[in-house]
Amino acid sequence: MKEKTVIIEIDEQGNSTIDLDGFHGKGCADVAKDFHGRDVVKTSRTKPDFYMPETAGKRQRQQS
Amino acid sequence: MSKYEELTTKITEERFLIEALQELGYQPEVCPEGRPLIGYRGDQRHEHAQVIIPRRQLDCASNDLGFARDSTGVFRALISEYDRGIGFDDGWLGRLAQIYKERQTMAVAKAKGYVFKGKEVIDTPQGKKIQLRFAVR
Repeated sequence: MKEKTVIIEIDEQGNSTIDLDGFHGKGCADVAKDFHGRDVVKTSRTKPDFYMPETAGKRQRQQS
Repeated sequence: MSKYEELTTKITEERFLIEALQELGYQPEVCPEGRPLIGYRGDQRHEHAQVIIPRRQLDCASNDLGFARDSTGVFRALISEYDRGIGFDDGWLGRLAQIYKERQTMAVAKAKGYVFKGKEVIDTPQGKKIQLRFAVR
């Protein structure tokens, strides 16, 4: 199973990015929220894994 | 990968602001009720701040440099034109915000049980970028 990782990058202008890797479904929203603090979210986009329900992901792995 | 967000740091937590200022080499004074900033001639200025770098830690012609909480709880920098001109400018404030965000992120990760996997400092054309990696238990 792919490890769920959080990658945070912070630049010298005080901007940061949160990249969530290995998540499926809406579970990642809580993780992102943990790291928001009171920061202003400028952009937010989901990536293909987001639309894959976790159960479907497990089923696919079992079949392969 | 499932989510990607871009954020602008807001300095709201005094503890991490103080740590960031210390990392930059200053010993800030903390005055929860706020105190007036002192000008380069020893005069009291009308601005009040809760976190202050006394002028003696800056240039000989500097004024106190302060951070005051606004009504929303965000710390705003109070920096004279002279002090902005000698380097306490937006670039310095950005670097301060970078250290603040790093400290805050590490504390949040520890408190929430994320597993720290490493830190890298990446050189970019826009300056150094700090990358922090965590695993989810």
